[in-house]
Amino acid sequence: MTQTLDAPARAGRRTTHTIVDTDIHPVATQASILPRLSAGARRRFETFGSRVPAPPEIYPRVRNSGFRLDSWPESGPPGSDLELVREQLLDGFDVDHGVLIPLQGHQWGAEAPEYSAELCRALNDWMLEEWLDVEPRLRGSLVVPYETPDLAVEEIRRHAGDPRFVQVLLATGGESGFGRRRYWPIYEAAVEAGLPIGAHTGGLEQHRGAGWPSFYLEEHVWNGNMMGALITSFLTEGVFAHLPELQLVCVEGGIAWAPALFWALDDGWSLLRDDVPHLTRPPSELLRERLWFTTQPIEEPADPAELATVLRHLGMDDRIMFASDYPHWDFDSPQHTPRLFPAGSREPIMGANACRLYGLPLRGAA
Amino acid sequence: MSAPARTLVVDADVHCAPRSLEDLLAHMDPYWRTYVVEAGIGLSPTQGGAYPARIRPGGEPAHAVDELPVDAAVAVLTCTSTFQSNRNPYYEAALCRAVNDWLLEQWHTRDDRLRVAMVVPTLHTEAAVEEIARIGGHPAVVAVLLPVRNDTRWGTVGNRAVLRAAAEHGLVVTLHAWGRAGNAPNSSGMTHSYLEDYLANSQLVAQGQLTSLVVEGVFAQLPDLRVTVAECGSTWLPTMLWRFDKDWKGTWREVPWLDRPPSEIVREHVRFTTAPIHLPPDPGAARETLDLLDPALLMHASDHPHDHGDGADRLAAVLTDDEKAAVMGGTAAEWYRLGL
Repeated sequence: MTQTLDAPARAGRRTTHTIVDTDIHPVATQASILPRLSAGARRRFETFGSRVPAPPEIYPRVRNSGFRLDSWPESGPPGSDLELVREQLLDGFDVDHGVLIPLQGHQWGAEAPEYSAELCRALNDWMLEEWLDVEPRLRGSLVVPYETPDLAVEEIRRHAGDPRFVQVLLATGGESGFGRRRYWPIYEAAVEAGLPIGAHTGGLEQHRGAGWPSFYLEEHVWNGNMMGALITSFLTEGVFAHLPELQLVCVEGGIAWAPALFWALDDGWSLLRDDVPHLTRPPSELLRERLWFTTQPIEEPADPAELATVLRHLGMDDRIMFASDYPHWDFDSPQHTPRLFPAGSREPIMGANACRLYGLPLRGAA
Repeated sequence: MSAPARTLVVDADVHCAPRSLEDLLAHMDPYWRTYVVEAGIGLSPTQGGAYPARIRPGGEPAHAVDELPVDAAVAVLTCTSTFQSNRNPYYEAALCRAVNDWLLEQWHTRDDRLRVAMVVPTLHTEAAVEEIARIGGHPAVVAVLLPVRNDTRWGTVGNRAVLRAAAEHGLVVTLHAWGRAGNAPNSSGMTHSYLEDYLANSQLVAQGQLTSLVVEGVFAQLPDLRVTVAECGSTWLPTMLWRFDKDWKGTWREVPWLDRPPSEIVREHVRFTTAPIHLPPDPGAARETLDLLDPALLMHASDHPHDHGDGADRLAAVLTDDEKAAVMGGTAAEWYRLGL
């Protein structure tokens, strides 16, 4: 929604449960990035900019450039001002921990190899210095030059062991399916560093088999399909079989589509065992051990009981994590979100599940 | 005492295919006969990898009417052999004409239970419209068959004339699995496994097509248009519609011609065939899934010769008798205006 939300006053009584927001989008201004680049990369940045189109260039958001109307700081774009993020989100909703997902990584991760590596390094350094060091409630997602896996591995190793980063960021679309072997070094390095992969909606999108959507609405509905395609690629190409410890977080792709995909995968797998010999048990079983989901933008039927039915079919309430998607137009507040879920699952979804995955302390545990 | 009425059975998706282009030469003019013969053009026996004969869900489709097992009062022939045409749009048009004539002469004429989902070129809108004008009025033609995998989404404006022609002739548009193999069936490149390719029809491509038809305002412009989604599953629909409705509420300004929730439009204008249907093994959960979907949207299909596994049995096990009658034939009889 685009109207201004009234955040509850911080002075109000704290809830007892932990709140973790697993999808917050910070934006780096050019002024933040340029000083962190080498002279060559800086020249390239100023001359050629980014050669990878960002999704809004292809599908313009209909109003307010896709941001909450109230999320513009005094200067700079929404998400560029930590103070405002504190006010509108961390303090405003009493968030214990927040995970930063800088979407510039989706474009910059697909640039020319060395250039891409420099941009991602600069973005990670900026996140560390301007956000993570300053605001202990925040954690970062490591941005990597994903289309150049050897350089991505270097960037992951550079930060391995740094508790301020809690996952390696991937998009849902790349030059090839992300299950392809050429990307495996990224996942191997993530496992080595003890980090899950967080795949956030977006990245590169090609023909899609049916051609391109014409509208943002159409593209937005497709987000769930993109996530399904990513999971299917990981599964059929054998990533999960290759890396038994790998955990994959599906960020901003919705959730309710998953059961139908699981049934389709199980049915298809049982017919086609010779095609995917590395899959030795039903895909749904494997996926239930490997996937995590974030809540925003969860599908919302007119009758909430129907969502409860589908979540029961999915059976993964212990792997669903609250996300606000701040500062985007379809922001979900920590106040509204719990009511979408069955009473017994609310507290884990709002925070405890994320604490378990990302190794964060529960409220009151410190 | 009269015998119990036999349940009306309509089979909404039955495949047949020419054994080779030889079967079609008689339906081509000399230019195209020469083109086919001298270039050594063939028909891909697997339709570009869509249906390897030795796997489930592949198999060899009937090549002649006496090879086809028909267990229905009416069966809709879906010949997808043209889906893998080369890139020459004029050839594609000639191939479609030949297949349509072949279907009418070699199949319908010999067994009038067999009705035709006519094929049209996907690369040549004018020729597609002409072809619908040429044979769309034939009483045996009940649908226009379009591949879900296509250069462009079917809702896009360049394709509108084809949909309009179908609607004006009272024909159902059947969006069927597979199509051109030149593009990956997803956003991110070609697939390695058949499993990934196969599931893309239901889990990705058909959903993209359906979204396209709605957001582009096709049904607002063509209120009589009926669409069958064939061989692309169905149980993904309810949650996809939740997403669609929610997103529409947030971004309706972009598509002001959509004056009601997408779910209403889809439920009114779209039906799905039952092969495949992906349901959970637990009957209780399967029934809940059907309640979310609505069995009234389903039409029985044998999908000869393809075998998609246990879904059809899971479906049959949880339908009521009335629902079963509708799924087996009642819904399709009305949808295709079969007058049965």
